[in-house]
Amino acid sequence: MSAPDEIITSDHTQLASHFFGELLDSVIMDVASECHRIARLGLDRNLDDEEEELRLSAEARARIADPSNSEANSKYVVDIFGQTHPAVAAEIFDCMNCGRSIVAGRFAPHLEKCMGKGRKARVKATRSSTAAAAHNR
Amino acid sequence: MSTALNPCNHLLDYKKRYGLKGFNLIQKWVKTSPYGKTHMGKSKSEIPRCSFCCGYEGRLYICLICSSMSCSLPSGSNHALLHMQTQIGHEIAVDVQRSELYCFACDDQVYDPDFDRAVMCQQIVGNLDGVRSGNNKRKRLGFEGGLNLNLNLDLKNLKRVVGVSGGEWDHGRRISKSCFPVGLRGLNNLGNTCFMNSVLQALLHAPPVRNYFLSGRHDRDLCRKTSSDRFCLSCDIDVIFSAVFSGDRAPYSPAQFLYSWWRLSENLACYEQQDAHEFFMSVLDRIHEKEGKSKGTNKDTGDCHCVVHRAFSGLLRSDVTCTTCGFTSTTYDPCVDISLDFNTNVDHIAPNKPQKSTDLGITTLASCLDLFTRPEKLGSDQKLYCENCRERHESVKQMSIKKLPLVLCLHVKRFEHSLVRKASRKIDRHLQFPFSLDMTPYVSSSIVRKRFGNRIFAFDGDESELSTNFEVFAVITHSGMLESGHYMTYLRLNEQWYKCDDAWITEVDDEVVRASQIYLVFYVQKPNSGHKSGEDGGCHLRSSPSGDSFVSIAGCC
Repeated sequence: MSAPDEIITSDHTQLASHFFGELLDSVIMDVASECHRIARLGLDRNLDDEEEELRLSAEARARIADPSNSEANSKYVVDIFGQTHPAVAAEIFDCMNCGRSIVAGRFAPHLEKCMGKGRKARVKATRSSTAAAAHNR
Repeated sequence: MSTALNPCNHLLDYKKRYGLKGFNLIQKWVKTSPYGKTHMGKSKSEIPRCSFCCGYEGRLYICLICSSMSCSLPSGSNHALLHMQTQIGHEIAVDVQRSELYCFACDDQVYDPDFDRAVMCQQIVGNLDGVRSGNNKRKRLGFEGGLNLNLNLDLKNLKRVVGVSGGEWDHGRRISKSCFPVGLRGLNNLGNTCFMNSVLQALLHAPPVRNYFLSGRHDRDLCRKTSSDRFCLSCDIDVIFSAVFSGDRAPYSPAQFLYSWWRLSENLACYEQQDAHEFFMSVLDRIHEKEGKSKGTNKDTGDCHCVVHRAFSGLLRSDVTCTTCGFTSTTYDPCVDISLDFNTNVDHIAPNKPQKSTDLGITTLASCLDLFTRPEKLGSDQKLYCENCRERHESVKQMSIKKLPLVLCLHVKRFEHSLVRKASRKIDRHLQFPFSLDMTPYVSSSIVRKRFGNRIFAFDGDESELSTNFEVFAVITHSGMLESGHYMTYLRLNEQWYKCDDAWITEVDDEVVRASQIYLVFYVQKPNSGHKSGEDGGCHLRSSPSGDSFVSIAGCC
């Protein structure tokens, strides 16, 4: 007389359940053991400090994003030394390549042409394409 | 050795009575796995069974005194406890599956350095862990005398490298508003050169670099006479230092520097916004090229003595572990910065449970550093040759920081270049960063120790004398779009943040900096002061004050 199918299945299910339970217990114990060691040996990160930093960061972002906050996005009036500066730097000095007097704020575009590295002649430059640089000259 | 660890009376008792006999005995039963875990295997063929009930389920423990095995089932019978109750004094046992000590009198897991060392020795020898760079290091493992000797040698060299630069830490003194810090001066934008200005501001205030140039270590006259090159970035930077620290507050135009840099970096020279990080790397390269030859390198350690390397150079450790046998191959590479990928892992958000930072959409610098040092399973198409197995097997790679630089530059990879789409995009996501950064979890000793289950063990190269605490002093931010963005630097001088936006220097609150979109963050090593109470975990000893004299920049104009 063979056992009814349900009994066999239920035995199998029970067995599988049992094994799964063992495995699960073992894994939980593994994690608990590791965390216990970390905590006891003082290796865990200072969670309080980390949480504090996160809180400060979140608060900061909220306050800056607030449109009524004027400090964050206001245009400059004076700097800490009481000075104001134009949009394009107005200082004038001599170009060390050609000797001409150049306005500071336009020095870079001048220098580029002056040194013969015009944008038209220039191929899209990457660090490795030194060949392009040679071509420019 | 460990100060935070207080062994229970039963463990103390046991050690008094039996010493290390028990530990040495069970050492031969320690079995290792490729993933760093150990278990106790008494016999290869037999299934471990409880001596009371012959059961093999639940947790099994081996008594340290009589080596009998007993079980402890989660629900109900605890034969291990019974063993302790019937045999007086048999309180300490070893968890078979985890190689951990358990005290049944205290009903808690306990820890002992000698036990850990016994397990570690077996584990290391068992795994044939070969650290390629060391010679005969394996012999020294487990002998503290040998380890200490080795440590001292390394320290002497390190002190030489560190000591020359003198004090790097500014005292946190709050200066009166009427008197601004020296070295605070705007830089004129010469035409899309904010990338250059922002990096210059950071360099001007990197303590080792600042100290080097302000104490006249780069002799411009000598350099001009002895050098054949017409252009020297160190000379130009020296000029900028003199100008910026002169007390003159009108914005300065670093035109000569731009010209020299363009002459020295042909392929990057163009009137277009550059990437600040690329620029920074290029400047360090140019300075090193020039100076490295004259300053020479340290014969023992191979460290370059040029100013950029003394300030920024660190050492990265890369471990590749074979997943089949556990053999680890280690290589070291120098670095001047660390580039971090964004850690965008977001966990499933549960409504009621306390949420981790990533749940709220906040990505943190710490999580990026975690990602950097996480064990990464290399793809099956990247099988590496394992010297132990003598075959190609799948492996796991893990990075860690072997030697921290004096100035730590962290680069946040915000610009993604997709080869597939042939387009680049900017990641605008906000990144939280701390003002005080503890790099302990990311150094090699911590990472390797973690791999071995955090055993109490003096690893070779435990840099317990070097500080792992860093303090931020400069932050370079990028705002706007990829092609048309703007770089700015926030400088922290005497605990006050200053915004350096080309020619404009303004004071800002902490929160403005916290809320900004950081791209490059600069931290400087804080000297050890040995006052961190309660932080001395078993493995990370802080030594007494290093005695470095501090060079504090007076806050007078």
